[in-house]
Order: sequence, then C-alpha cells, then structure tokens
Amino acid sequence: MPLSAASINIDDSVLVQRSQTGDLEAMERLILKYQGRIYNVILKISGNSDDAAELTQETFVKVIESIEKFKGKSSFYTWVFRIAVNLTLNYCQRSAKMTTRSLDTEEDEADGQGRQGLKEFLSDESVADPAVLAQRRELCALAKQALLRLDEPQRAVMVLRDIEGMNYADIADVLNIELGTVRSRLSRARSHLREVLEAMQK
Amino acid sequence: MKANPQIDELLSSFIDGELPLRQQTEVQRLVARDAEVARRLRQLQNCKNLVNALPAEPAPVDMLEQVKQSLERRTLLGEHSMSVRSGAGARHLKIRRFVAAAAMIALMGGLGAVVYQIVVPVSPGGPGRPVADSIHPVRVIPDLAEVAPTPSVVAGQGFSGRLELRTTALAQADAFIKAVIEDNGLAGFAESQVLPDRRVYRIECGREGLDRVIADLGPIWKNFDSARLVVYTDRFADAVVVEPVTVRQVVQIVGQDNSESSVHVARRAAVMNSFAQAMPGRDIRSVLQDDSTTTIATPEIPRPRLASNDPAIKAIPAPPQDGVQASMTIVLLNTQ
Repeated sequence: MPLSAASINIDDSVLVQRSQTGDLEAMERLILKYQGRIYNVILKISGNSDDAAELTQETFVKVIESIEKFKGKSSFYTWVFRIAVNLTLNYCQRSAKMTTRSLDTEEDEADGQGRQGLKEFLSDESVADPAVLAQRRELCALAKQALLRLDEPQRAVMVLRDIEGMNYADIADVLNIELGTVRSRLSRARSHLREVLEAMQK
Repeated sequence: MKANPQIDELLSSFIDGELPLRQQTEVQRLVARDAEVARRLRQLQNCKNLVNALPAEPAPVDMLEQVKQSLERRTLLGEHSMSVRSGAGARHLKIRRFVAAAAMIALMGGLGAVVYQIVVPVSPGGPGRPVADSIHPVRVIPDLAEVAPTPSVVAGQGFSGRLELRTTALAQADAFIKAVIEDNGLAGFAESQVLPDRRVYRIECGREGLDRVIADLGPIWKNFDSARLVVYTDRFADAVVVEPVTVRQVVQIVGQDNSESSVHVARRAAVMNSFAQAMPGRDIRSVLQDDSTTTIATPEIPRPRLASNDPAIKAIPAPPQDGVQASMTIVLLNTQ
C-alpha cells in the first residue's frame, strides 16, 4: 500500500532547512528517502527504466540546485514530485515517438493465458483485491501496456493517485491544475483504461 | 451501461473517498437501487485496484552516486539545469551551447594564465629573479617552478602531487610552512624557491612525513583564500584536481598505501566537493575550514615556531626512514 503523504512529511522540514544551509548529509537523506518513490512514479509514466533512472537523477539535481529557492509554500513532498512529473511529462512530449514505438511493438501481446485472465478480470462480478491482482503477472503486464496507452496527463494523474496514493489536493498542487480538473481527468483516465483493456481482450 | 461522464466522475471520487458526506450518501443510495450504476462502480474500482497492484520497482542502487556525478559533470561543463517550461527546448539548447563555449574559453584562459605564471621566464637581475632563502636551512634550487611538477617521480608506487595555496599574507605563511618542514625534520628532504609573487616548496620524503607536514598546516588552513590539490597519476591527462581541498582531504589522500588508493580517494573528494559546491549557501571558506576546531575566523596567521638552535626549544624529530614514497610541490601564491 502506498504511504500517505502525511506519514512521510515528519522530518522533511528539518532536513530541508539543513539542506538550505548547505548540509550535504541532510540532502543525501532526502534523496535516499524519496528516490524509490520518485523513480517508481516516473517509471510508470515514462514506461522505460533507463529513462526513469535518468529523469530521477535529473529531478534530484534540480532539487539540489533549487532547494535554496524552496519557500515552503507547499510541502517538500509535493514540490519534489512536481519537479519529477514536470520533467517526465516534458520528456514524454519531446520524445512522443518513444510511446508510439512501445505501443506498436507491444500491441496484441496478450497471449491465451493473459487474455483469459483479462476476461475474468473484466467480468466485473466482484471487486478484485489488489493483493490478489498483484500475483497475476500476466494481468499486470497487460495493465502496464494499457496504462501506456493513456495520454500522459491522464497517466500522470492516475499514477499519482493509484500508485503513489496522493489525495486530490496534492495532485492538483503537483500538476498545477484545479481540483475539479483532477476529478474529471482521473475519472476519464479510469474509464479510458477500462476501454483499452476491453480492446486488448478482443 | 453506457459511460456517463458525470456519473463516472461522481463514482470515481466516491471510490477515492474524495466526496463530501452528503454526496457520499447520495452515491450509496444510487448504487443500492441501480444495478447498472453498481456494476460501473465495480468497473472503476477494479481499474483503480489493477493500477494499484502494479509492482513497485526499486530505484537503481547507485542513484545517489549518479546524482553526484551528474552534478560534477554540470559543474565542470558549466551547464545549467534543464528548463521545464514547454517550448523552451530550442532556447535552452542555445543557452547550453553558449554556456559550454563560454566555459571552455574561460577554462582555456584560466589554464593559460596558470601555465604562464608557472613557466614565465625570469630575467636575470630583474624584479622577478628568485631570491635565495637565507632564513631557513631549506635547500634552495635555481628555479623550482620550471622543474615542478614532476608527475613521474613516484607515480605507480607512491604519491605525487601539487598543492596550490593562495593567501594575502605570503610572508607569514611562508615562514610558517618552513618552520613546519623543519620541525618535522624534513629540511634535508625539501627544496624551496622564492619568487616575488609566490613560494615554491618541493618535498620528497616518506608518506608519513609528508602527512605530518600537511597536518601541521591545519592551524593556518582557514587563512588561505583557496586551496587546490592536483594528484598526478601515471598519465598527466588523468591528473585529479580537488578544489577546494581541505587539510583533512589532503592528509587522507597522501596517507593512502599506494598510488591507486590515493587517486581513488582524490577522485571521491573531488566528487564530494563538486556536490558541495552545487549546494546552496556554499562557501569556499567554510569548506576549507571544516577541519578547524573553531568557527571563529582568526585574521592573523599564527607566528611560526622559533627556529632556534636551543634544543630545549626546538626538538627536531628524526628524518623518515621509509624512503622516498611521496613527492609534493607546494605552491604558495600571493593573492592581490
């Protein structure tokens, strides 16, 4: 389960203050604390591990370079994710071919087992338990492909909510959009994902 | 059920617990009496659960190291961070190219100035003529600057490096360094040269002896405006530059068992310093002072210990017995 935003903010302000005075150890602790989650969010949006590693690096370089300007108007947590998601979305826009290529090569990769699993999943007889779903690798592989077929803004909002576990207000802060936009974009993203999965099943 | 964007939005927010209590109750009633709405709710919930079930993948283990290296590259190339604003790509590229070109020009200029300072010929009898040192029994050679550095002296087995220190109090620092060399019994292992704008000392001795000399410079380290260490490897092009370097870093680098370890520690120090320089609030002096026991700046360089012949005042330790393993050229430059 993703950690809540509140539970990770406990010592951030102290570490940020120390970092702002040039404390290397504090900055290293912040990086170590967030690197896994930042990497994971970037990976799920970009869909490529090499790009994700590079963008995570770029994120923290930018954090180090800009920490002095961080005024604490928002939490450090949302600030660092804003940098990461902005870099990732810009990167995805610049290299739109990457997404197209990955979709082309992975299209119709659902084999018999995967298709059967997907059919069961889409029957909607009950609400599936995420822990159970996580053990069905073929289904997760299809879900990854489906997620990459959403446009980047929809993918970003879905990753921040359903993987990172952010609340709507934090998502609005990270993406610099209205709360209502978060609501509608997330709803459309889920609906779209459902359509993509249904198309993959056929 | 055909998807209805308004209903979907309501159901999606309900799933996330982002609805006010009154709307939550309305959705619950709607789901209870309409099977299609209940089915749609399950569909959306399952989509959320499926994405939530995607396995988290760990970040590369060397991420922190990569960040440091990235910062180091940026510092060396004078790169600025990438702009996140859309449509700024072309402008950003131009700026990067311009900055890179400017950095190269500045680097070449700086390098040229340093080379000029080192190799500029001194006219006999002119103002730049080296002055023989008669105060201390440190050996004086005709023009040490012309023969230093000598990267090949101990490369492969020992340590070979060049330490450049800048100060506004050249005479006091010079006296202090000579006293330190003498007090460590290394006068016979050191050569010095006096120029109007600099003092050059070449010490060839055991690593332990050199380490003691460097460690003894600790008290005046904070008075240097800058400190730069060049560690030579077998190939000159591979020399490692640590700047600003602290006295502790120099001691650690010199104190290694072999040349390879010294270079490794020097590279690590260079990366750490680069990392530190990219941090906000960085202050070269504060980095230089990290070994001092006090944070209060002392404007005066301590007086050198007396070079008296009185054995009660001056006890010279025995010269090193471990053979020549380290070669260090210390260049003390006058900051105008």
